[in-house]
Amino acid sequence: MDPVVQFQNVTKAYGQAVAVDDLNLTIQAGKFVTLLGPSGCGKSTTLRMLGGFEIPNSGRILLAGKDVTRLPPNKRNVNIVFQDYALFPHMNVARNIAFGLELKGLHSSAIHKRVMELLALVQLQDYAARMPSELSGGQRQRVALMRALAPDPQVLLLDEPLSALDAKLRQQMQIELKSIQERTGKTFLFVTHDQEEALTMSDQIVVMNNGKVEQMGDPHTLYSRPQSVFVANFIGDANLLRAKVVGADAQGTALTWNGKQVGALPSAHAMKQGDSVLIVVRPEALRFLSVPSGEGFAGKIRKRVFKGNHTSMTIEVDDGSQLNALVHPGESEAISGEDVWLGWNPRAATVIRDESAAG
Amino acid sequence: MRTMLADAPRTALTMAYWGFVLYLFLPLTLMMAMSFKNAAFIAFPIGDWTFDWYLKVMQDKPFLEACAYSVLVAGLTTLAATVIGVWIAMLIATTEGRRGAVLFALACLPAVVPGMISAISLRIFISTIDMPTGTAAIVLGHTVHAVPFVVVMALTRLRSMPANLVDAARDLGADSVVAFFRVTLPYLGPAIGGGMIFCILLSIDDFVRTFFLGGYRPTLPMLIFAKVQGGMSPEINAMATLVLLVTGAVGLYAEYYTRRSRSR
Repeated sequence: MDPVVQFQNVTKAYGQAVAVDDLNLTIQAGKFVTLLGPSGCGKSTTLRMLGGFEIPNSGRILLAGKDVTRLPPNKRNVNIVFQDYALFPHMNVARNIAFGLELKGLHSSAIHKRVMELLALVQLQDYAARMPSELSGGQRQRVALMRALAPDPQVLLLDEPLSALDAKLRQQMQIELKSIQERTGKTFLFVTHDQEEALTMSDQIVVMNNGKVEQMGDPHTLYSRPQSVFVANFIGDANLLRAKVVGADAQGTALTWNGKQVGALPSAHAMKQGDSVLIVVRPEALRFLSVPSGEGFAGKIRKRVFKGNHTSMTIEVDDGSQLNALVHPGESEAISGEDVWLGWNPRAATVIRDESAAG
Repeated sequence: MRTMLADAPRTALTMAYWGFVLYLFLPLTLMMAMSFKNAAFIAFPIGDWTFDWYLKVMQDKPFLEACAYSVLVAGLTTLAATVIGVWIAMLIATTEGRRGAVLFALACLPAVVPGMISAISLRIFISTIDMPTGTAAIVLGHTVHAVPFVVVMALTRLRSMPANLVDAARDLGADSVVAFFRVTLPYLGPAIGGGMIFCILLSIDDFVRTFFLGGYRPTLPMLIFAKVQGGMSPEINAMATLVLLVTGAVGLYAEYYTRRSRSR
């Protein structure tokens, strides 16, 4: 695995506002990598710096080992799919896709062949002569994608390209994007604020916040083992339980919460006895226990909302804290106001530092 | 009764409108009608109708030469004004804030300076730098006047252009010059086309600047002016009618052309 992109201590500020703060990031070739974060977290600035539209204040950007930090956009072998597609309105579909190839000085028959190949990849062969204004949103999206892929970039950059589409089309395009990435074997660097989009498509997700990388990993790891409150809350829903560490080793973490001992996965951070921590328990990891036992916690159902394929419940436990549970059909018929016992599998809970207590 | 009363303001507006149209077209119609009169002086009744005046005009060498000269001046003016106007529009579009507003105001100034003042000052200017009156001086004067119209039209179109288009071109390997000629300029196409037709009409129509800056070769308005001095005749009416029809057709086509390309 070769690193195709490396950001080395890259900082970009606009006046006093720091958009990207001492960023270090390595992206492996052939992967679908997503920069995920809320608006203003620096993910788009990072993308634009790689595209050549912003010059960092300090640090270096390497593309396939070559320093491209200060090269203009037309001198670096990356291409962007813009948020609003930016198709040239006065050129038809084929000419739009051919644009980058013509500038590479390719022979016209080679250009024609490549354009047709790309159109076939997204089943738009019959639309070569159409103008962009005659296409639907999804078709424009595909043309923009093929135009950016045409010059064979080392990395394809996608700047929230699905945000203009409606929900149904967006899901369809997520699957299609992923499959195009797999078929072409290209490195995709995708920017989004939508965690579901990131989880669906990515091999690697880079969660960004305040211009820094918060956590990086594959979707499953990020979801099941978040390392900060920010990541736990940004990706999926989370119950955060304030607890005390009793003991920790490589097998797991023992904690006390509400006066009882509970378990969780081993922590990524060094923990010692008496530390104040947060336990992250996903709503679907909460389990109702059929009989009151020493293991679980007593609670009362405060709210119950039927959501079709699942039911969302809010449960108040003895100390007054409220937990969200996601219940699949047949798991529990408990109704609002009913007393229940609940607990969780220690293998489905993680421990993170309680930043508010530490700070 | 109530509805009629309620509609009274609307009726008044409609009548005022048609009154205005009548006022606009009556003199024009009169002028056209007289061009068909088979007599040497302009007065009612028309009596005999004839095409003779038109035949005469079409064979009138000074008239045809003046037409050709006007077209030449208009062509040169349009060429110069379009290049300068688009240039200025690009500069203004990429200048932020107050400085951009100042540039815009300066660029628009020639459109609001009275033609008379502009003509006199240009005349003084060219004699100061020892430039002879004639074609070059006329084109200079017309160009200064025409540039603001090109600037406004090009700038309006530029402001509606998605910023990402140039970024996309740069991203796909175009340097800034290629991006301008292959993306920005074609995008501006309709606005430039409209602006050019406007320049042609402004130049052909211009009398004051031409009068002060021209040499011995008369443009069309100068020729007609000279003929009117020598007394009105249906021949002048025929010339004026021809000019009206041609410029009217060009103007309408320009309107149609810009509308059509804007709706795309």
